[in-house]
Amino acid sequence: MLKSKAFILAIATASLVACKKDLPTHLAYDSYDYSGTDENGGDWTPILLSSGEEVSLSPPTSATSATYLAEIEDVKKKQEQMTDKDREQVNYWTNNSVNRWNEIALELVAKYNLIPGPNEDGTYTLPNPLEPSGPSIFPFSHPPYAVRALAYLSVAQFDGLISAWHYKYTYNRLAPYMNDAGVASAYPKNNIPSYPSDGAAVASASRAILTVMFPLEADYLAEVESEHLRSLILSGSNVQSDIEAGRVIGEYVAGIALTRASTDGMKYAQTNKAVSDSIKAAAFERFGWQWENLELPVRPVGLTPLFGMVRMWNIDNVEDVRPTAPPAFDSPEFLADVEILKNYADNMTDEYRRIANFWQDGLGTYTPPGHWNTIAKELIVKNKMNPLRTARVYAYLNMAMMDAGISCWDAKYYYHYPRPIQLIEGFETIAGTPNFPSYTSGHSVFSAAGAEVLAYIFPSEATTLRGWAEEAAISRVYGGIHWTFDATIGTEQGRKVAGYTLDIAAVDGSE
Amino acid sequence: MDARKACVLANYDAGTFDQYWEGSLLRSNETIATVHRNTALPMAAIGILDQLNLYLGAPYVSTHSTYPNGGKFAGANGFQDFYIGLKYRVFQKKMKQDNTLAGFLNVGFSAPMTNYLSDYMPYSIGFGAPELSYRGVLQYELSKGPYIRAAAAYLWRGYTEAERDYYYNNGSYYTPWMDVPSAWNFEAVIGSWFLNKTLKVELAYNGLRSLSGDDIRPYNAPQPTNMVHWDRMGLSAQYFIEKVKGLSVLAYHTRVINGRNAAKISNFGGGVTYQFNYLKSKNK
Repeated sequence: MLKSKAFILAIATASLVACKKDLPTHLAYDSYDYSGTDENGGDWTPILLSSGEEVSLSPPTSATSATYLAEIEDVKKKQEQMTDKDREQVNYWTNNSVNRWNEIALELVAKYNLIPGPNEDGTYTLPNPLEPSGPSIFPFSHPPYAVRALAYLSVAQFDGLISAWHYKYTYNRLAPYMNDAGVASAYPKNNIPSYPSDGAAVASASRAILTVMFPLEADYLAEVESEHLRSLILSGSNVQSDIEAGRVIGEYVAGIALTRASTDGMKYAQTNKAVSDSIKAAAFERFGWQWENLELPVRPVGLTPLFGMVRMWNIDNVEDVRPTAPPAFDSPEFLADVEILKNYADNMTDEYRRIANFWQDGLGTYTPPGHWNTIAKELIVKNKMNPLRTARVYAYLNMAMMDAGISCWDAKYYYHYPRPIQLIEGFETIAGTPNFPSYTSGHSVFSAAGAEVLAYIFPSEATTLRGWAEEAAISRVYGGIHWTFDATIGTEQGRKVAGYTLDIAAVDGSE
Repeated sequence: MDARKACVLANYDAGTFDQYWEGSLLRSNETIATVHRNTALPMAAIGILDQLNLYLGAPYVSTHSTYPNGGKFAGANGFQDFYIGLKYRVFQKKMKQDNTLAGFLNVGFSAPMTNYLSDYMPYSIGFGAPELSYRGVLQYELSKGPYIRAAAAYLWRGYTEAERDYYYNNGSYYTPWMDVPSAWNFEAVIGSWFLNKTLKVELAYNGLRSLSGDDIRPYNAPQPTNMVHWDRMGLSAQYFIEKVKGLSVLAYHTRVINGRNAAKISNFGGGVTYQFNYLKSKNK
């Protein structure tokens, strides 16, 4: 009996100690040697600034001045007093903090990507930016909201870094560790000048943009920014005046980006019921069909009916990229699609289910644009991009995906095409049917546009990336919430939209 | 159960709920309307030694929402987790007036038998992770029939693999693996034998307390990482049919009365057990 007790105890202990998995909360990567320094990066064409020089920045004190030497001493003193938590922070931020701010944005998207539920009386209260803490929490960071937040964040980072690069190579004051052998560098050393601090430009711009996009996170974001700025000193990358100069740039570009954001039309995207009904009626007039929300209680207005009228980044007129009409209900193409959908639903395989779930990126997650930012992040690290090149990837990626979203929403509410559950009697799905019309599929348009941008920047990955975009598109059909033509036409639409952004990327001076 | 004896059980359980606790808020949700969760459970118990029994189980679960519902989600069904357990009678003491005090230790292991998706709540048929349970049981039985029983178990639960590589659990997680919280499980039973020890009636409390986990977010689906608590009351009866040796029928009703990130589920169940000698008895 004693023996068996000891045996049980042994199993118990073993099972508790073993099997502990490490669950990553961010992309694990170490600081790396940049594959290039892009000395002429300050001459690249920014997105919103007229040039890198638009921000005015006074020259730094010289590396031999008493002021600078005192700053160096301050760095050394802080490095001596580093705690374990400080070291963790320095390792966490790495020498490419653009990725970290992108992750912070994605986390906030996931945190706020919660659809408002009904009130007791069956009505719905929409989030109101003037009352962010409720009754309905602002924002509801659905895919259009998310991609727009990511676009402004990435554009501000990119423009800020072009400006930072411009002044770095104008003033040429090297990093503290280059000027004084007594300063340790936590990251691989490089000869990119450190005034102004690129990290600080990114930190301040990112904090400013995200605070407007997620107002309830103001305190959290301010804290993260100050931790980041502190780690720039502790890592030996910057002295305090580098950081102050970087912040000037960050605040400036954030201001420009937020001015654009305040007038891009997003505030009108979520309409009232009267406007929504008129949009629906116009579609019925044109085509003889209209999408209906089938939730209980019924949501009176679809998601952002006028997102299609938000100002695009790189396309003048959204109608230039509007796809042709979807098939009529009596067409052979439509009838064949009904059979395809029923067949997937009746014969769901493990593989289709896996694909439907893998690309679902639904409520409570970072959305499909977030997924493509994560894919980009891995490629950026794999290719050892410097912060400027990194910001360029995110800027074009997210501009193209925001334009893709706008174009997709234009089609959705222009055509107002019903979802499978509306047209197939008794149809059930394994993915949640969203609160907006079917044609074209948001996943398809976002993903195709995202994949095209990444394929352009990482040509050796092009085939894989395009394959993923097609898989993301068809995943919605496996999920039962989209027609196959929503996916295939949506993919074409996304590619076409991305082309406009790539035309600009091709002549920005970086290649 | 004595050595050389075995017992098979066929049980059917029908559970329904139209309310659940989102964190500690009890709510309904027309997206899922009323959820049905039915379980067919074949089980076997085998007496290896007089004081050591082996248990095996393989539940088949099916879930669906009543119509109409706002979500139009497909339900799920399939074999859930196989269970294997050992129950050891550590002691059994005759007390005054022929009353009995007995103590048991029970170690169990369960794990998914099929590739079901745990990350499809509330329709997923299980939490999709291995579980090791360590249970201690004390029972005091009066010779006249009444008895009380108390049990406590530690349930170590592992990880379940979702079909996505990002999820939010009070922060970002870049992995398909979700940590299913381990938990304590408590049971207190008061029961009695009637009709010349052919009928057993029990009133039971059963409770679960997760040791970690997050809350269901507002109007959002639950996920396997949630901290699940519940308190459940149950009434059961088992009748041993004298005419057919070894045969019994049982019926029960349980009801979750309090919880956190849990369904306010109410279950009715019934089953048949049949006990027999799988080896000839030594002394006959």
